[in-house]
Amino acid sequence: MKAFTALTATELRLLLRDPASLFFMIAFPLMLLVLKRGDGDAVPGYLAMIVAIGGMGALPGIVASYRERKVLKRLATTPISPVLLLGAQLVAQVAAGLAGSVLLVATAIAAFGAQAPGNVPVLAAAFLLCSVMACSLGFVIAAVVRNTRGASLIGMLVMFPMIFLSGAAVPRKALPDALRRIGDFLPLTPGVDALRVAWSGTAAVFPLLILAGIIVVATAVAATLFRWE
Amino acid sequence: MEAIEVTDLRKTYGDTRAVDGVTFTVRAGETFGIVGHNGAGKTTTVECLIGLRRPDAGAVRVLGEDPARRRRALAQRIGAQLQESSLPERIKVAEALRMFGSFYRDAADWRQLMERWGLQPLARKAFGDLSGGQKQRLMLALALVGAPEVVVLDELTTGLDPIARRETWRLVNDLKMTGTTVVLVSHYFDETEALCDRVAVLARGRVRAMGTPGDIVAQTGTASLEEAYFALEGADR
Repeated sequence: MKAFTALTATELRLLLRDPASLFFMIAFPLMLLVLKRGDGDAVPGYLAMIVAIGGMGALPGIVASYRERKVLKRLATTPISPVLLLGAQLVAQVAAGLAGSVLLVATAIAAFGAQAPGNVPVLAAAFLLCSVMACSLGFVIAAVVRNTRGASLIGMLVMFPMIFLSGAAVPRKALPDALRRIGDFLPLTPGVDALRVAWSGTAAVFPLLILAGIIVVATAVAATLFRWE
Repeated sequence: MEAIEVTDLRKTYGDTRAVDGVTFTVRAGETFGIVGHNGAGKTTTVECLIGLRRPDAGAVRVLGEDPARRRRALAQRIGAQLQESSLPERIKVAEALRMFGSFYRDAADWRQLMERWGLQPLARKAFGDLSGGQKQRLMLALALVGAPEVVVLDELTTGLDPIARRETWRLVNDLKMTGTTVVLVSHYFDETEALCDRVAVLARGRVRAMGTPGDIVAQTGTASLEEAYFALEGADR
């Protein structure tokens, strides 16, 4: 436990030391909020966007670089398992996403008078599931794509269309029909739905179940395909 | 007492016999060198020692245990510096030492270690900003943070400039003084000769000669370990 805490604290510091993840997970959503003149309806989608940027945009490159640069192998010579480092990366991503999200929500409420979230416990559960789901897809990418550059690139190529088509960055109502239908099949869409419903104050179980299902499947796929070196 | 016993170790990758019947023992407190050219089977041998690879055949005992079965337990007592291994670019020197210290039940005091290995002035520097020699010094300190009984150092000075190399030699000599058992893997014959009590010369997966560097040189009637190696290998062809 001591080792896992130390690993997680370090991973979180490393994330916050990275200007790119700092910008995209914290400053960029705030900029979008300002551009939308503080439209509170956009906030739940932006939360999904933040965790997608971290879990799919950043995580695959980080994990692939740990493999390529033999950080994982070095850890395998210590008493702890390299799996712990991947777990620490997951927790750090969730925590960094949470920090960006809390800041965004607080700004929306305090500076733009947005309505406070209706059901905070369900919103928290939706956020956690959405964040872990994004990371689990990130682990799949890191398992399939071997080198660091490739994993970063594929992560971006998966993440960017997804945040636009799932309703995270722009409302799906604004999309043409064909593109909207693609969104029905994207794993981030139930994440956006879950966050939006919880924000408005009701509780829908179905999107949460879908998120949990995606997490289970993606983790199994990543665990099967992942190579340590 | 024997710290390490390797008996008829064999490991094959596809058609390549990386290690083809290697036998040696390392006494507690000894600095033992494994020397040979690239592809001689050095790294495969040490990876079997620390439990990263499972031998195809043969027996390996480190501190009386089988590394392939008891990797975790042994990892508390073995420190390793792996060839080409590294750390996240943005991790700071002090951070890395403290974090690795948390992995061990009876860790050394990482602050003292940082002081002793001259890393104090670099404490707040990121790994990616260190020079090659500084990186190696940190990786060496990380191998010692668990207060290990056996330390395995693979290609410690590869890629270092001559000054950094000599500096690293001095550190290994300091380590020898503490009575730690050291396995030093290198393709530099001068390094092995300067640092090791006994040496196994490896070529194509087999031990070509073993003994003190002085003995091997004397047996072959040459002037240095490197010349001895070429005399042995030349005689074989």
